[in-house]
Amino acid sequence: MNPEMITTSELRKTYTLGGQTIHALDGVSLSVPEGQFVAVIGASGSGKSTLMNMLGGLDSPDSGSVEINGQDIARLGQRRLARFRNETLGFVFQSFQLMPRQTALANVALPLSYRRPKPTDAREKAAAVLGAVGLGDRIDNKPTQLSGGQQQRVAIARALVGDPKLLLADEPTGALDSQTSEDIMQLLVRLGREGLTIVLITHDLEVAEYAQRVITMRDGRIIEDRMNNARVAA
Amino acid sequence: MTLLRLAFGSLMERKLRSLLTMLGIIIGVGSVFAMLAIGNGAKARVLDNFDGLSARTVSLRPQWMGNRSSQARPYRRFNETDLRDLAALPDVEFVSGNLQREETVVAPGTDWTTSVVGSDAYYLRQRDMEMSDGRNLMPEDLEFGRTVTVIGTAASRRLFGQSYPVGQVVTVRKVPFEIVGMVAEKDGEIGWQGDVNDFILIPRTTARSRLFGNDWLVRNQIDNIQVVAKDQAAVAELQRNIDYLLRRSRGLSAADAPDFAARNFAGVQQRQAESTRIFTILLASMGTISLIVGGVGVMNIMLVSVTERTREIGLRMSIGARRGDILRQFLVEAVVLCGIGGLLGLALGYAASQFAERASMQRGEALLQTVTDVPTAALAFGSAVIIGVAFGYLPARRASKLNPVEALRHE
Ligand SMILES: Nc1ncnc2c1ncn2[C@@H]1O[C@H](COP(=O)(O)OP(=O)(O)OP(=O)(O)O)[C@@H](O)[C@H]1O
Ligand SMILES: [Mg+2]
Repeated sequence: MNPEMITTSELRKTYTLGGQTIHALDGVSLSVPEGQFVAVIGASGSGKSTLMNMLGGLDSPDSGSVEINGQDIARLGQRRLARFRNETLGFVFQSFQLMPRQTALANVALPLSYRRPKPTDAREKAAAVLGAVGLGDRIDNKPTQLSGGQQQRVAIARALVGDPKLLLADEPTGALDSQTSEDIMQLLVRLGREGLTIVLITHDLEVAEYAQRVITMRDGRIIEDRMNNARVAA
Repeated sequence: MTLLRLAFGSLMERKLRSLLTMLGIIIGVGSVFAMLAIGNGAKARVLDNFDGLSARTVSLRPQWMGNRSSQARPYRRFNETDLRDLAALPDVEFVSGNLQREETVVAPGTDWTTSVVGSDAYYLRQRDMEMSDGRNLMPEDLEFGRTVTVIGTAASRRLFGQSYPVGQVVTVRKVPFEIVGMVAEKDGEIGWQGDVNDFILIPRTTARSRLFGNDWLVRNQIDNIQVVAKDQAAVAELQRNIDYLLRRSRGLSAADAPDFAARNFAGVQQRQAESTRIFTILLASMGTISLIVGGVGVMNIMLVSVTERTREIGLRMSIGARRGDILRQFLVEAVVLCGIGGLLGLALGYAASQFAERASMQRGEALLQTVTDVPTAALAFGSAVIIGVAFGYLPARRASKLNPVEALRHE
C-alpha cells in the first residue's frame, strides 16, 4: 500500500447566511493514498468545492486537520503555504482562469515565476508540458484563439508545469461538451497512470466513472465511498 | 525585471486610461520641475550679484522734493562734511563721493565724449575695479587739486588706440590732465550706462574747481556718495545710522520726508528674489496639488484595476504567489504609472521653463532665469515615484489581502 497523500480528520466548516447556519463541511474524514485518482461527486451545495479549497490550503477549516504529503497545512504560515501550493499542488478550475492577454506558453510558465529559486528553463519546461498535453503547435496562441477544450488543456499544463504531487480539479469538464470532456478525462487518466494523485470534483456521474475511487457527498458529509473496480484493474 | 515587464504590459493594455490617470502626475512633476528650475535660476543670480561689494554698499543720492515749496530748495546736495561724517560712522570700511558729467575729452589728434568722474582713491575699489598700470588717485591729488587722471580701458582705446596711455596728456574743457594710471578691464558687463570701462577718473576737488564749478549754495558739493560697510550683516544698522546722521545735519525730524535716498543694492536684489520666491511658491503649490490630485487618481485607477483583476489575483495565489508578491506587483504597477507620468512631466516642465525664460526676455536679459540640471530633474522625478509608492500602497495592500477562494469566484 502506498503512503497517504491526503489525510483529513473531522473537517468542519460552517457559514452563517442571513441568520441561517450552513454546514458546508460536517465532519469529513478522508484519506487518499499516493497515486490514486479520486472523484468526488454530489449535488450542488453538498460541499465539494469547500472540501477542495481546504485540501488546497485556499480556505481553512473551523475544526479538523488536513495533512497533505505529510504536512499539516492548517499550521503553515502564509509564505510556507504559498510555497506548498507552488511546489506540491496543481489546480484546475471549471472556468480555466487563464490570463486572457498572455500566450499559452506564458500562462503555463506562470507558476514557475513564483518558484524560489527561479528556474532558468521555465519557457522550455512550459513548452514541453504543452507538448505533453497535445498543444505543442499552439504555444503562441492566446486563450481567445483556443477552443474550450484547448484552454482547459492549457490550464492543466499550467497545473503540471511545477511537477506537483497532487492535482486538484474542480469541475474541469463543467464548461465543455461531452466529446471534449472525454478527451480531458483521458488526459487525466493518463496522468493518474503516470503516478499523479488526482482529486476530481464533478457532479457528473459519467465523468466520475473515469476515476479509480468515487466519493459521494451530501450536506457536507461523505455518504458513500466506493472503489471503481473497472478502473482499478485497468 | 519581470515585475517591470508585467507592469508595463498591464498598463499598455489600457493605454488611454493610463494616460488620463497620469495627467495629474505629468502636470505635477512639470510644475515641480519648472519651480525648481526657476528657483535655482533666481538663487544663482542672487549669488552672482551678492558676492561683490554691491551687497555691502549703501548708495546715497539727493531726492527731489517737488512739493516742499516753503523751503525754496527742492533738494539738498551732499558735501565734503557729509562725507567725513559718514566715514566716521561705526562699521564703515570706506566711503567714496563723486561728481560725474559727460564731457568731451581731447587727446592729440582725436576726441571722445565719455564720463568724467570726479572722485577719490576709493572710487575704483567701490566698483570692484583694479589698476593695471601706473597709480591710482591719492589723497594728495585731492588735497592739492592736481590735474591728474586715471583712465578706463574703453576710453583709452578710443583716445589712444593701442598705444600706451600712461604719461600722455588729455584735455577737458581746455584743462590738461596727465594720465597717471590705467584701470584693468572689467569684463562682461555692458550695463545700462554703456561700457563700464568707458570713463576717466580725476580728483573730486579738481573737478569742482576746474571743470564743473562750485555750487555757490552748497560749498564742496558731492553728487552721490557710496558708503561701504565692513560686512553685509552690518548694512541694515548702517542704513539706520546714515538716516539718523543725515536727518540731524539737515534739521529733519524722523517724521519728515527725507530729501535724500539711501539704497542698498542687496535690498533691491532681495526684493527681486522675493518676487521670484512668490512665483516659486505658486508653482510649488500648483505642483503639490497636482501631484496629490494625480496621486488620488492613481489610487483610484489602481483600486479599479484590483477589482477588475480579482480573479487574476486569486489565480496567482492558487499557483503559489505570496501576499508579498501580489503587493509588489501592484505597487510596481503604480510606481511605473507614476514614473512614466514623471518622465512626461519632466519634458513638460523643461519646455515650460524654457518658455518662461524666453518669454521674460527684456533687453537681452531673462527676468526669470532657469537652471535645469540632473539633480533638479531627479528631485522632480523622485516626487512622482514617491507619489506612486504612497498612493499605490493602499490598493496593492488590498489586493494582497484578498481571500483566494472569494477572489477566484469573483465575476
Ligand atoms: N463564502 C460562503 N459564504 C456562505 N456560504 C457559503 C460560502 N461558500 C460556500 N457556502 C455554502 O456552503 C455550501 C457548500 O458549498 P460548495 O461550494 O462547497 O458546494 P459545491 O458542492 O461545490 O456545489 P456546486 O456543485 O454548486 O459547486 C453551500 O450551501 C454554499 O452555499
Ligand atoms: Mg463547487
